[in-house]
Amino acid sequence: MAAQSEKQKFFEIIHPGASYEFIGNQKYWITTSILLVLLTVVMMPLNAYVLKGRGHALNWGVDFRGGSEILIEFSKPVDAGAIRQALADIHLGDAEVVKYDDPTGKKLWNFMLRVGAVSVVSEQKAKQIRESLAKEGAASLQHFEWSEGGDKIYLRYDQPVDTTALAGSLKAIGVSSNQVQTFGRAVENTYEVTLVGLDTEIRHTLDARLGEGAVAAIPQVESVGAKAGKQLQVDAARSLLYAILLIMVYIAFRFDFRYGPGTVVALLHDAVLVIGAFAVTYKEFSLTTVAAVLTIIGFSMNDTIVVFDRIRENAARLRDRRFDRVVNQSINETLSRTILTSATVFFVTLAMNVFGVGVIRDFAFAMNVGVIVGTYSSVFIASPILIWLNEKFLESQRRAAPRQNRRGGRSTDLQVDEP
Amino acid sequence: MERSWWWKAALYGFLVVLACLYLVPTVVPEQKQPAVIKKYFQKRIQLGLDLQGGLHLVYEVNVDKAVAGKVDRLASDIEDRLRKDKGVADLTVTREGRDDIIFTFKNAPDHAKLDDAILRDHRNDLDVVDRDAAHGVVRLRLDAKQVDEVRDYALRQGIETIRGRVDKFGVAEPTIIKKGTDIIVELPGLKGADFERIKSIIGRTAQLEFKIVDDGSEYMRKLVDYLKGPGAATTKDSGIEAVPESWTEKDTGKQHEDVYLRAKVRDALQTFFDGLTGDLALPPDHEIGYEEMQGRSDTGEATPDKYWRTYYLHKRAALTGEYLSNADQTWDQQTGRPEVSFEFDRQGAAISERMTGDNIGRKMAILLDDKITSAPVIEGRIGARGRITLGGFGDPFALQQEAKDLVAVLRSGALPAPLRKTFETQVGPTMGRDAVSKAKFSMMIGAIAVVLFMMTYYRLAGIIANLAMILNMLFMVAILAAFEASLTLPGIAGLVLTIGMAVDANIIIYERIREELRLGKSVRTAVDSGFQRAFWTVFDAHVTNFVAGVVLYSYGSGPIRGFAVTLLVGIVTNLVTSYWLSHWMFDGLVGRRGAARATLSI
Repeated sequence: MAAQSEKQKFFEIIHPGASYEFIGNQKYWITTSILLVLLTVVMMPLNAYVLKGRGHALNWGVDFRGGSEILIEFSKPVDAGAIRQALADIHLGDAEVVKYDDPTGKKLWNFMLRVGAVSVVSEQKAKQIRESLAKEGAASLQHFEWSEGGDKIYLRYDQPVDTTALAGSLKAIGVSSNQVQTFGRAVENTYEVTLVGLDTEIRHTLDARLGEGAVAAIPQVESVGAKAGKQLQVDAARSLLYAILLIMVYIAFRFDFRYGPGTVVALLHDAVLVIGAFAVTYKEFSLTTVAAVLTIIGFSMNDTIVVFDRIRENAARLRDRRFDRVVNQSINETLSRTILTSATVFFVTLAMNVFGVGVIRDFAFAMNVGVIVGTYSSVFIASPILIWLNEKFLESQRRAAPRQNRRGGRSTDLQVDEP
Repeated sequence: MERSWWWKAALYGFLVVLACLYLVPTVVPEQKQPAVIKKYFQKRIQLGLDLQGGLHLVYEVNVDKAVAGKVDRLASDIEDRLRKDKGVADLTVTREGRDDIIFTFKNAPDHAKLDDAILRDHRNDLDVVDRDAAHGVVRLRLDAKQVDEVRDYALRQGIETIRGRVDKFGVAEPTIIKKGTDIIVELPGLKGADFERIKSIIGRTAQLEFKIVDDGSEYMRKLVDYLKGPGAATTKDSGIEAVPESWTEKDTGKQHEDVYLRAKVRDALQTFFDGLTGDLALPPDHEIGYEEMQGRSDTGEATPDKYWRTYYLHKRAALTGEYLSNADQTWDQQTGRPEVSFEFDRQGAAISERMTGDNIGRKMAILLDDKITSAPVIEGRIGARGRITLGGFGDPFALQQEAKDLVAVLRSGALPAPLRKTFETQVGPTMGRDAVSKAKFSMMIGAIAVVLFMMTYYRLAGIIANLAMILNMLFMVAILAAFEASLTLPGIAGLVLTIGMAVDANIIIYERIREELRLGKSVRTAVDSGFQRAFWTVFDAHVTNFVAGVVLYSYGSGPIRGFAVTLLVGIVTNLVTSYWLSHWMFDGLVGRRGAARATLSI
């Protein structure tokens, strides 16, 4: 075997012999993490109740909050105030009108409209409809059914009503319907009103107030019923937990059970801090953000696995060293790859954050934060918990078998001698 | 080189060629594709809804409404029987909640009249929850299984109805799927102007109505005169023609004469009728129904062309689908031809008897969704049970299919479950284009940064990692094309992210090789043990990413799912390219055991 006569030189960011103290200073790192987690926990009620202009624990996207998000492209200069005023009559809930910068810079008067409503009929309007339609010709209204956010109204009369006339009466009080048809049996005299879409109504209203043709286009609409939004929130939380649990099971199976809890705490830490970043910046927290958090949970494990693998290898090799020293050395040995692997992902997500648009940008922001906290947590969170669990484990073993010779007894790959 | 290396070379070469072939349909415009590609590799990457523009809708079936309707009907049916057949005079029927019916008999012992005979007829639907003999109160409740059945049925019907409506619009690749109790509809490539129209039509509650055709009417005769005279010019362009028809009443032999209009497209007819004014305007108590007909040659053979015909109908629909209690495809005892038999409930039977009795010899149009599905001639008075014999000369097989379709229509009319829209996304096509170009740009920047970094840091080995990463992209996109996956905006983010993650495995392996080299091992040994020792680390990292991806896939819908798919595919291909393929490239670089090079650019 031709042994190399001289050592090769590499381009290195971390010197191979480097020995930074990670474990010895762990209390500082852990305190930092706890403070950051606390900040997240405090930020949410602050956002919800104290800070002006926020109002929710997180800036939930339409998908979670329920409501509509409508992008409107105007053909002439308008300002947010004029839009708000024009829409005041149709009761859309707390409307938020934001100037939307078109990424190409070509379209100048784009506005993003965020409203709580998903339907043209608000609770107020429903009441008005109910009163106005109490008598339709000779027939009187017996039952009125409308659910919040619904795009349909059901009306039951004591005798038959002409559907065309009913549509006309609705029109007269400013309710546009796509269709009015009988529902159920003819003798039931029940009529189903299918309401016109919110975006169409908004377009008509704006055209009427700001001049015909003021709205050039409505390129994007997103609307989510309040109930569906709540369900999505629950699903999101559940999927995060599932992902974390599944990964923990895999790690416990591939390494041993002492490695499991550290990963879970590290992953929870990552998830919480990414959410925290959204709480502090009050950036929109949408389905895409949840996707990013799930991706981070998968990715953050990469570094943890690299470190844990080395700890396992070194623990078997360096049995005469204290376990926490082995961990510290292992972290140092793998430090360059921990940093490099995170750096490449950070590069690309940063590029997406800087040059991307819309959804991609939010996703990239979450990834940027996640990559940093994920790297941090595999060194400063997962490893200390591993050390702590190992001590507890050895202690209980000693208590359980006091007379057994530890060296000759059952040996686990983590077991090391006390100095 | 060892022989196995060449075998691997052949394998990887084959995979690369295959991947390239799969990509041709996505990358090369259709006119320029060679014939071989067109024949075997037609699959291509679809642009997701958010990139192509289109409509994404999620509907929830309002089961409660359908269930409540069913219970209402059962309640009134039983009430009717008690009053008419059993002579119970003083009875109050109340409904509680969605599922309960409470019968209160003023004369307490009367409760016994709600006996097994009545209950047996509804034994699948209703359970007796409570019978208070002393106060004459009986509480019935809809069977829980029925609720599930209604839900399933409504969901399936909802999907079918939506599919039928969407097909009418000719949307290129509609997706209509069931997810839990929701119906997800995706209509790519729509224009903004069509959104409202399509939404309003999809969201309608399907309605089944029976209407009598007013044959031999004065109005239609007037219309035909107009068409022959002053209106000839206007109708010629739209291809509308008047066609006479006649049939004989079975029992009396009475002759019926009528005339209808036909045209290739329904809109032509509709526009014509909408444009009529004054004397020719449609009387307010009448309307025009449209049916799509199969073209037939003179010998009665079906021809591929279809046309639409009109029916002049009485507007009022006394009978609707809700009165139907059952429908089945059966066989005519005498002729052995397929037919449809149906059953009305008690109230329906009463109305039907009156309606059909007055109109024997006329046609009864069955309308679903403003379209006539069938218009059989009424041959006799129809009470609770009726049969529809299918006309035409078609072969029995086609007739049977026709009969089954009609059964489906009749059944769906029986339980209208409204659809409630819970989620909606509209994306205009321009929005998508901007996003794609921006995403491509950020992808390029990210890729270049990674490539440059790997080259500076690992030199020759960095180039290997870059090659592996590029091949990974190739394989990924090829697999997405082979699956005809749709590429969404988050999906592109997934691709970009994979660039960043792809080289991670290489970094882990290279750092290991460096360590081995530092220990003074030979290049050959260092490479081998570096790859070997890093394997499980790399593998575990891929598994955890994969687990997160799977959870993401099952949680997300639409664009998010697109992201999960790219992520999952990328993880699998990356394991191949960054580990085995890189290993193979290293083997080629380092050389055979004996003649291995002494230094390694890593």
